[in-house]
Amino acid sequence: MRISKLIPPSAAFVAIALTAAVLLPAAKIRGFDLDRFARLPVLEGGRVKPIDSVARNSLLLIRSQQSFTWQGRTVAADEWLLDVLFRPEIADSQPVFFINDPEVLGLLGLKQTSDRYFPFRVLGPHLEKIEQQAAAAREVDSKQRTRFQGAILNLFDRIYLYYRLENTIQVKNGPRLSEEIARASDPASSERHDGLVQLAAFRLLPPPAGGKAEAWRSSGEALRAGRGAAADRGLEQLAGIADAYAKQDAALFNVGVAGFESLVALERPDALEHGRYEVLFNRAQPFYAGMVIYLLALLALFASFLWKRAILAPAAFGLLVAGALVHTAGLASRVVLQGRPPVTNLYSSAVFVGWAAVICGIFLERMYRRGIGTAVSAAAGFASLIVAHHLMGDGDTMEMMRAVLDSNFWLATHVVTITIGYSGTFLAGALAIGYAFRRQLATRIDPATTKALVSMTYGVICFALFFSFIGTVLGGIWADQSWGRFWGWDPKENGALLIVLWNALILHARFGGYVREKGIMAMAIGGNVITSLSWFGVNMLGVGLHSYGFMDGAVWTLSGFIASQLALVALCLLPPKFWKPHPAAAGTELAGGR
Amino acid sequence: MPRTRNRVLDALTSLKLAIVCLVLLMVLVVACTLAQVRMGVFGAVNAYIRTFLVWWTVPGTSWTIPIFPGGGLVGLVLTANLVAAQAKRLELSVRKLGLWIVHLGLIVLFVGEFATSFFQVEMQLAVEEGKTVDYVESTRDAELVVIDTTAADHDEVYAIPEALLVPDRFIEIPGTPLFLKVNAFYKNSDLARRGPNDPPSLATMGIGPEVNVTEAEPGSGDDQPNRKAAFVEPFAGPKSYGTWLVSDVLGAPQSFIHNGRTYSLSLRRHREYLPFAMTLKKFQHDVYAGTDIPKNFSSLVEVSRPSTGEAREVLIYMNQPLRYGGKAFYQASFGKNDTLSILQVVENPGWLLPYVSCVLVALGLLVHFALGLRRSAARQKAALEA
Repeated sequence: MRISKLIPPSAAFVAIALTAAVLLPAAKIRGFDLDRFARLPVLEGGRVKPIDSVARNSLLLIRSQQSFTWQGRTVAADEWLLDVLFRPEIADSQPVFFINDPEVLGLLGLKQTSDRYFPFRVLGPHLEKIEQQAAAAREVDSKQRTRFQGAILNLFDRIYLYYRLENTIQVKNGPRLSEEIARASDPASSERHDGLVQLAAFRLLPPPAGGKAEAWRSSGEALRAGRGAAADRGLEQLAGIADAYAKQDAALFNVGVAGFESLVALERPDALEHGRYEVLFNRAQPFYAGMVIYLLALLALFASFLWKRAILAPAAFGLLVAGALVHTAGLASRVVLQGRPPVTNLYSSAVFVGWAAVICGIFLERMYRRGIGTAVSAAAGFASLIVAHHLMGDGDTMEMMRAVLDSNFWLATHVVTITIGYSGTFLAGALAIGYAFRRQLATRIDPATTKALVSMTYGVICFALFFSFIGTVLGGIWADQSWGRFWGWDPKENGALLIVLWNALILHARFGGYVREKGIMAMAIGGNVITSLSWFGVNMLGVGLHSYGFMDGAVWTLSGFIASQLALVALCLLPPKFWKPHPAAAGTELAGGR
Repeated sequence: MPRTRNRVLDALTSLKLAIVCLVLLMVLVVACTLAQVRMGVFGAVNAYIRTFLVWWTVPGTSWTIPIFPGGGLVGLVLTANLVAAQAKRLELSVRKLGLWIVHLGLIVLFVGEFATSFFQVEMQLAVEEGKTVDYVESTRDAELVVIDTTAADHDEVYAIPEALLVPDRFIEIPGTPLFLKVNAFYKNSDLARRGPNDPPSLATMGIGPEVNVTEAEPGSGDDQPNRKAAFVEPFAGPKSYGTWLVSDVLGAPQSFIHNGRTYSLSLRRHREYLPFAMTLKKFQHDVYAGTDIPKNFSSLVEVSRPSTGEAREVLIYMNQPLRYGGKAFYQASFGKNDTLSILQVVENPGWLLPYVSCVLVALGLLVHFALGLRRSAARQKAALEA
């Protein structure tokens, strides 16, 4: 008895300990203190973040991955960025450009092979062609673009980002930064300074301690300002780092980075601290870890149906709690790092939908103790984190909020409540899917569990109706506050309204006795269709004030999801004769179905 | 008779009717959302929601037939159903207290949406830095104005709403000896410099003869404003002053002289004058450092009301409108290199109702589900103990 009580906490402990192991400091690569360099704060996209985040997001945009294999070893984003900045000749030969579109490959005179990653060196000779085609594609309205036009524009944007990164600190194939400082006052240099100012992808030089918080400078700006005057100390340090890395002198590089770091610590200690925290967050990848732990919980639970139930079922719950803790830590870190409520864009909404569903599921499990709560919340957490993982490709997931969205009050109230409404509707749908499968698979009659399942689903639908209604009306009030229209029948508003109407419909149909157990469950699965359409589908219409995010490729994924849910509705509605036969098929459980 | 009345009352209060209404509403909302791709938000809402019936034009004819109840009808029936059912069926008890509050909140919400669709007026106020404006303009409706500009210190403005511009109609200009004959009116048009092969112009005076006007389908999208145009012929008694082209895209007003008085003609956005004036002191457009992501837009305006001597400065910015004189002013747009600020001006007497409704429904659902959860938890506990 006592040992079984220890199972959940020990399973949770093992999972969390394994997750935390990645936080241990990494070994130096070839003697270079990459870690320290990666922690340096910079200003990019309007936000102060560590170089590590810039490196990861850029590589993710260009290659759709955060690291790659080259010459038999793994190159992480930080090391790649160092080569892009200081050894462009090496970076240019690394296969980082992901190109999959056959017509784009054709334009470059390349054949579609199993290798879809190309170095800049291969693209270089075709730059003019790519630029021409991209310029033509840009003229076309984004909704009317062909697949080729979309792909060539996307490639051009990635090449341009790469080019900007290469020209952030010193001009590619031009004078080194140290030479640039030496001839800062030479009038012939000013054109290069202007080029650097224009192209810099991020700003490395912190503003002085008393200055304006956003007055970070790129090396071009510092060079321009320093013409004739004594050179900037930070700029000189940077030049030292650049030369050391170009010469592959690890000792000198490490000294330079440490010196630069102490300079930043003097002027912007808070930014340095923030950078450290964000690097930890990047490295821990809490949402990826959470996804894996949820999957393990799910597998443990399924295994428990067949074998050693007494050990595996509590272990599954322990893993679920561990997953929830890691997920919560990740969510909390994002809130702290960004200084915003948890939901600010599509990516974070996916993270939050899963989190809220998992928390509700844990409560259900504590209330009903039948393993159902564990199953659906592990499944919901896993699924939503997979969705979030695929929404990451847009670059920085903590981007700045556009003017009208720049309101922590409304983000915290409207956005959070409506997202909890999505969670609730999905959770009810997940419970109902569990019900439908149970009908087909259960080996013994267990009316008590069926009853618990039905009552959980009903409770969750009530919960979902509450949050989606309040969220929807709060959205209306926000709209009234920001453009004087409480309700504009905008697609996103309509989507939210549909969720409210659907949940209200289920409750009223149940109250009137028009649907019973099976009908309620089928309608709850239908809720998944409506919520997914409201969450993602309306963004694909490209109308209205709420349409954000590019969603071209996602149309098929969404259609597939909806088809699967409709199939599950059909499965749920199958008449009793198709259910798994039981010895006592006329039992009480079946009488409830209609 | 009483039996039929009972049957009608039963139907009106039935839960089935509520469910049918919810389903119809869902269908309408989906149809309206999909239609927005092709008709724009404004068009789709008018076709499906702010109407009592949804009309369909039989292809190849000009017949339109109603094919579905519109949002107005469904909303009205649902409201009636809610009120009637509330009165007739729902018991007045603590158990149902939550539902009473919820349904009351919903009635308030529906009334608010009806009030909005009937009474809400949306206009715009565009003002450049340093300039003062004392009127708001419609974004959809135009007006033809005849302005007597003879006096040096003031103008006399006669405005004719767009709806009166019907071809071959004579319109008297009150207070003057003039009347106008409308020769043509286009809801949307394309204007171009006249080429050698273009058909002859209807206009005989002003800039009109140099311009080729072709009628265009009225734009449906929200971002395609219509270019309205009309050909009008001013008369003083039997004397014609020629036919003039007026359009809201033509810049300079065109004028003629009658009996020593100068009258100018132009077609412009419909205006409504305010009892106060707004001066734009400063428009600000902030971006996040190193990006072009907008961070904030704000207009510092001075509101002055000569009748009361009131004059004060107000900062209007994102999510922070000015409510003044029964209207709300929102930062909506900008232009002319960040020196022009465009404010959305909304007048809606029912604007507070959704706030009331939100509080009522939230409270009601909370009460209802809390009572339900308590009962369910008690049952569950009993079941686990058994």
